[in-house]
Amino acid sequence: MSTLDTTTDDARRPLSGRRAHLGDLLLQGAAGLAALGAVVLVGLIAYKIVQGARLSLSTFGLGFITHVGWDPVHLKFGAGSFLFGTAITSIGALLLATPLAIGIALYLTELAPGGVRGAVTALVETLAAIPSVVIGLWGILVLGPVLRDHVEPALHSALGFIPLFGPPNSAGTGYFTAIIVLTIMILPIISSISRELFLGVPSELKEGALGLGTTRWEMVRGVVLPYTRGGVAAAMILGLGRALGEAIAVAQVIGAFTGISWNLFNPGNTLASMIALNYQGASSGLELSSLIYLALILLVFSVIVNILAQLIVRRVARSQGVVQ
Amino acid sequence: MPRNGKLVRIILVLGAVAVTASFAVTAASAKRSSGSLKGAGSSFVAPLVNAWIAPVNSDLGISMSYNAVGSGGGVSAITNKQVDFGASDAPLTAFSPTCSTCVQIPWALSATAVLYNLPGGKNLLRMSGAVLAQIYLGQIKQWNDPAIKKLNPGVNLPSMAITVVHRSDSSGTTFNFTDFLSRVSGAWKSKVGTGTSVAWPAGVGGNHSSGVSGIVHQTPGAIGYADVAYSTTAHLDVFKVENRAGNFIIPRLANIKAASVLDTHPAKDGSLSIVNPPKNKKYANAYPISTYTYVDVQKNSGGSAANLKKLINWAVTKGQTYGPKLIFEPLPSAVVTFDKQQIAKVQ
Repeated sequence: MSTLDTTTDDARRPLSGRRAHLGDLLLQGAAGLAALGAVVLVGLIAYKIVQGARLSLSTFGLGFITHVGWDPVHLKFGAGSFLFGTAITSIGALLLATPLAIGIALYLTELAPGGVRGAVTALVETLAAIPSVVIGLWGILVLGPVLRDHVEPALHSALGFIPLFGPPNSAGTGYFTAIIVLTIMILPIISSISRELFLGVPSELKEGALGLGTTRWEMVRGVVLPYTRGGVAAAMILGLGRALGEAIAVAQVIGAFTGISWNLFNPGNTLASMIALNYQGASSGLELSSLIYLALILLVFSVIVNILAQLIVRRVARSQGVVQ
Repeated sequence: MPRNGKLVRIILVLGAVAVTASFAVTAASAKRSSGSLKGAGSSFVAPLVNAWIAPVNSDLGISMSYNAVGSGGGVSAITNKQVDFGASDAPLTAFSPTCSTCVQIPWALSATAVLYNLPGGKNLLRMSGAVLAQIYLGQIKQWNDPAIKKLNPGVNLPSMAITVVHRSDSSGTTFNFTDFLSRVSGAWKSKVGTGTSVAWPAGVGGNHSSGVSGIVHQTPGAIGYADVAYSTTAHLDVFKVENRAGNFIIPRLANIKAASVLDTHPAKDGSLSIVNPPKNKKYANAYPISTYTYVDVQKNSGGSAANLKKLINWAVTKGQTYGPKLIFEPLPSAVVTFDKQQIAKVQ
């Protein structure tokens, strides 16, 4: 801006040019400081976590990551069962939420009549605003018993030959309840981003396809979905990030059991909910340090997920020649 | 789900009561408060401490708040001086890092009840420590297991799976319960041991006593453990637990009192142990999972010291009269005498 200003009228506007220059400096300083602050904060957090985890790192080494068990009495700790729980619940939630979210977004952008559109959009977005502790409470009081009494027995009798759908657990808390709760929590994230992406598909493309005589489904499959593929993938990864880190709602419904079970209806635990449940009142310094080691693993996990998301977005953007 | 509907309603009513109560407390304290004290910890002792809030305000002019975050949370909070007092059912020595600058004062006496939910309403079934340990080890999985049948001759036990429920947070109630199991079962002692949180071989976890009693409440076939007060408020059945004299004992006042006689002279650090009293006529009616529970305060409490001393003095004397209704047995006089010496150490 300032270069434009000074070149248009050198004689009359030196002062305003100087002021604009000052403004630039201020902007650069303030914005730079803000960015630096964020970087320093992440660095400090990482430093503190590594420092806190040092005792556990030196005691258990990398074997901690795969060891299944958490025994505060005999001082043997490991992240294996929590890594398993985190992976199975967040991947499960992602698999359930993605098709639902894309369906919602397609309905809102392509199919819904005008009046319905606004109401449904608002309601889906409200879902994102419900505090996780409330969803967790609902999960333990309402969802858990319903899953236990109706859904889990039905799934077991229909699909019981798959080890994932073993005999139902009688308490109604377990991986499966956690997956459903996480699905509800990440659904609005994926659907609202997908909706924005679908709205951004140029109408010439869509009309062109329809003009060529495609059906609405063929248009969605041939134009809308390929055009927004990268963005939807990034939205999924954002949802995955949320699912990986959610602690409170999961802690309420997953049943807090240390161990690995392929039966989705059994109780388990995740990295985040294990930390949330136990960081207070650790019975030994080594347990506290091991909890921080769990946090370190979660941090590394999140960083990897974020990098993956950026790589996907960049690759798709390059192949399409557009940045979304 | 009519039962859950009821539970939700109970929770809503409790919430409303808590909100109104806190308004009432603030309104009253605005008039004559001489200070406020903040506490956190044991959910075992929470029913009693919550019953103290109103009289402490009217008798002492102190507005007190209590957050039942679990004993582990309470010890963390007082260690880091985030509260004026912490409450724990496990002695401070059970934690590390622990509060080395704290005074530990036994301020209430009650018992850990073994709760269960068995459709058909058979209250007060009999349970022995050895069988309970096998259940929590995951070795006994059915209600109609021969071992449980043998303890309850003539009772028609259903072929129903047992759901073991334990605490998911660091808890003094867990310490009391696993201490008992370790004393009655060699297998438990060697495989699991005693602690505020342990490596549970089976079951599901609930957060705080309310979480455990909530899961037991809504899970047919469940067995859990929590302070006796929770069994009465949540209308849950409790086991009569066998003591070393071979009697099956209900967790109620007289039987907690019988156990408390075992130890009325606290160790130098203030701790007392009354779990699983020996086979002796004196303890014939003792409930074997009884426990003292402690308040922990910083020796150097600065500005709140005067109010803290007033509060704890009141709690171990007049406060005890609020106990029996909630199945907290009043402290033996020897313990109260000791407590007053401990209170004097707070500056």
